[in-house]
Amino acid sequence: MSNNKINHLDIRGLTMKFGGLTAIDNVSMTVAEGEIRGLIGPNGAGKTTLFNAASGRYRITSGEIRFRDRVISNLKPHDIVAHGLARTFQHVTLFKNFSVLKNVMAGCHLHSGYSYFGSLFGTRRTRQAEADNESRALDILEFVGLSDLAKETTADLPHGHQRAMGIAIALASEPHMLLLDEPCAGMNNDETRAMINLIQRIRDNGTSLMLIEHDMKFVMGICDQITVLNFGTTIAEGTPEEILKNPLVRDAYLGSSADDS
Amino acid sequence: MGSGENSTRYYWAALILLALFFPVICSFDKYLLHVAITVILNVSLATSMWLIWSLGFISFAHAGFMGIGAYGSALLLTKLGIPMWYGMWIGAAISGAVALVISVPLMRTRAVYFFMASWAVGEVIKRNFAYFREFFGGWNGVFDIEPPVLALAGLEINFADRLSYYYLALLIVGMIVLSIYRINRSRTGMIYWSIHENELLAQHIGINVFKHKVMCFAVACFLAGLTGALYAHYQTYISPKSFDIWKSEFALVHIIVGGLNTVGGPVIGAIALTVADEFLRSTGYFRVMFFGVIVIASVVLLPGGLETIPDRVRRVFKRFKS
Repeated sequence: MSNNKINHLDIRGLTMKFGGLTAIDNVSMTVAEGEIRGLIGPNGAGKTTLFNAASGRYRITSGEIRFRDRVISNLKPHDIVAHGLARTFQHVTLFKNFSVLKNVMAGCHLHSGYSYFGSLFGTRRTRQAEADNESRALDILEFVGLSDLAKETTADLPHGHQRAMGIAIALASEPHMLLLDEPCAGMNNDETRAMINLIQRIRDNGTSLMLIEHDMKFVMGICDQITVLNFGTTIAEGTPEEILKNPLVRDAYLGSSADDS
Repeated sequence: MGSGENSTRYYWAALILLALFFPVICSFDKYLLHVAITVILNVSLATSMWLIWSLGFISFAHAGFMGIGAYGSALLLTKLGIPMWYGMWIGAAISGAVALVISVPLMRTRAVYFFMASWAVGEVIKRNFAYFREFFGGWNGVFDIEPPVLALAGLEINFADRLSYYYLALLIVGMIVLSIYRINRSRTGMIYWSIHENELLAQHIGINVFKHKVMCFAVACFLAGLTGALYAHYQTYISPKSFDIWKSEFALVHIIVGGLNTVGGPVIGAIALTVADEFLRSTGYFRVMFFGVIVIASVVLLPGGLETIPDRVRRVFKRFKS
């Protein structure tokens, strides 16, 4: 990879207010191409809110979010995905009554060559496109290690597989960057190891990632850079080593004699 | 899955054959043909309503949009003399256009709020027909909506004849059901079901959820309008009462009893319940009550609807084999 990497995600002075509550207060950060960025912080620090703002789920109060040098703040979620910024969710979010394969095929929507009348009349081009989608979806399932389960019903899968499915669906939109909201929540050790491996392979394919995670060993092991949020503001940013040494971070996590309450 | 899909094809083929030869089977009995045409119109209404259901919504405005198509086509004939061949498409287009406009605010609501809002829309449409007496004929409705006549190369078919109207209705409703079947099987259907399953995720895989909702609603209402035009020219008389909330309600019951998951559900549900209702005609006062019992019994005894019967039968056979 070249040295002069472009910035993928560029958040400038992001503020999110809900009524009187300021969930995020003037946060700025940049994530470079090919980077794995960890976003950590205590509960209620505003991590998921930041994801929701970046992915278009919430309207931002002020500031600006740029992605690959385009302003994406306040676009609709489907437009933001079309710009190449995809996300997964904290709670397992799937099309539960679809088969595993169909979930990923639905995820291929943006690159499916879809047109209303083309699909109504089943033109040759549509049929070709759907065949391509299916093979691409199978490739993605292979990549996340679920190809044996393609025909299964999603609701029957174990938790770890469902998490991987969520990522598979997001990958189907062929994103430049992926936001993972607690990818390892509720996973056992084996599942976590598999997830680490998957995330590294996603990055090796040229997709940058930002992930929220509470499992510190996981975050420290996998991330290039870490941003720490507390009460909606950035309190630290740096490599895992720097973050570990940072006294502010320790205070935020372990509690301290800080007199603000 | 493969064998299931194949056997579904046989059921459709059997149904189409039965429909094509029904007049011969019932030896051209006028009453049975009337029942058959009613069945066909109910199938059409339930199936187009089901298209909206594939998005996850139940629209109680559906009979209202059927009414727009019916009134459109009827008034074009009685006031301007435009025959049904054009009137039905114009009526349906008006219905679709009104749906397009109304669905913009309507599709911003969800779940129970959508039910209530769509109920209100249906009621407002009906009230408008009643209120503008000069134009729509008030509660008295519109009379003398003549069925069309087709003159083709010296051959003249008058659709006032029930037999020919049966085939006309069968052809058009066949097209309606076929297009809904195709929509549902294509990626469009996949998009609708993904919105149904998980709207949040659908947005975040790049689907313009709102656009698809509006489009689906408008197309379904266009098809309901087409059904309405067929209804108007068959009955030759329409009034606001023909398109009240009960019509939507019955279509909903047809879907629920038939099954919610495939196009076959509303089709078989509408057929079964319309026939059952016709059998209950002799019970007079108790008709509605018996109908209710049948509906409740089928929901309790056959969860998933009539469409699950082939699967159940297959399972029983398997148990016998092993």
